[in-house]
Amino acid sequence: MREHEDEITGAGAALAAVGLGDRAYASRFREETGIGFPLLVDEERRAYRAAGLKSGSLLHLLRRDNARARARASAAGHRQRRLGKDPFQLGASFVFAPGDRDLYVHLSATFGDHAPMAELVAAISADGDER
Amino acid sequence: MPSSLSAALAPLDLPDTDGRPVRLGSLWAVRPAVVVFLRHYG
Repeated sequence: MREHEDEITGAGAALAAVGLGDRAYASRFREETGIGFPLLVDEERRAYRAAGLKSGSLLHLLRRDNARARARASAAGHRQRRLGKDPFQLGASFVFAPGDRDLYVHLSATFGDHAPMAELVAAISADGDER
Repeated sequence: MPSSLSAALAPLDLPDTDGRPVRLGSLWAVRPAVVVFLRHYG
């Protein structure tokens, strides 16, 4: 996501990430990557539960779409670092707008299932067109 | 029952890496925000 920060802010949106684990872990990640957008810590999974985010399982590792996602990530130069507090936690990407409007919702179905950047930017741009 | 996911998340406060509480709804109060829930850092 950090490599797309300029594209997202250039489209007129803010960017923030929420992660599990503790603040020390998150701080180390911020220092190592130099990301500038807000990085929030949800140690108790309150936001993850409120968003209805699920966990995967070992069986997810056997899914073909998961293997394809791993191959794409590897080809892009991404490497798995520490797994974190809950390695089976699935993620999500949202685009929210003023007035608590949901412009885009992508709940990851498996590990490596990420929202296409083009869809995120399209959701941001479509809202700008309507305003 | 919140009318949207953003409405359900908006009132939650989470700390940033400096320990400062951030009201999630503040992230999209003025302009749209992309909010990514990570599996892990890195």
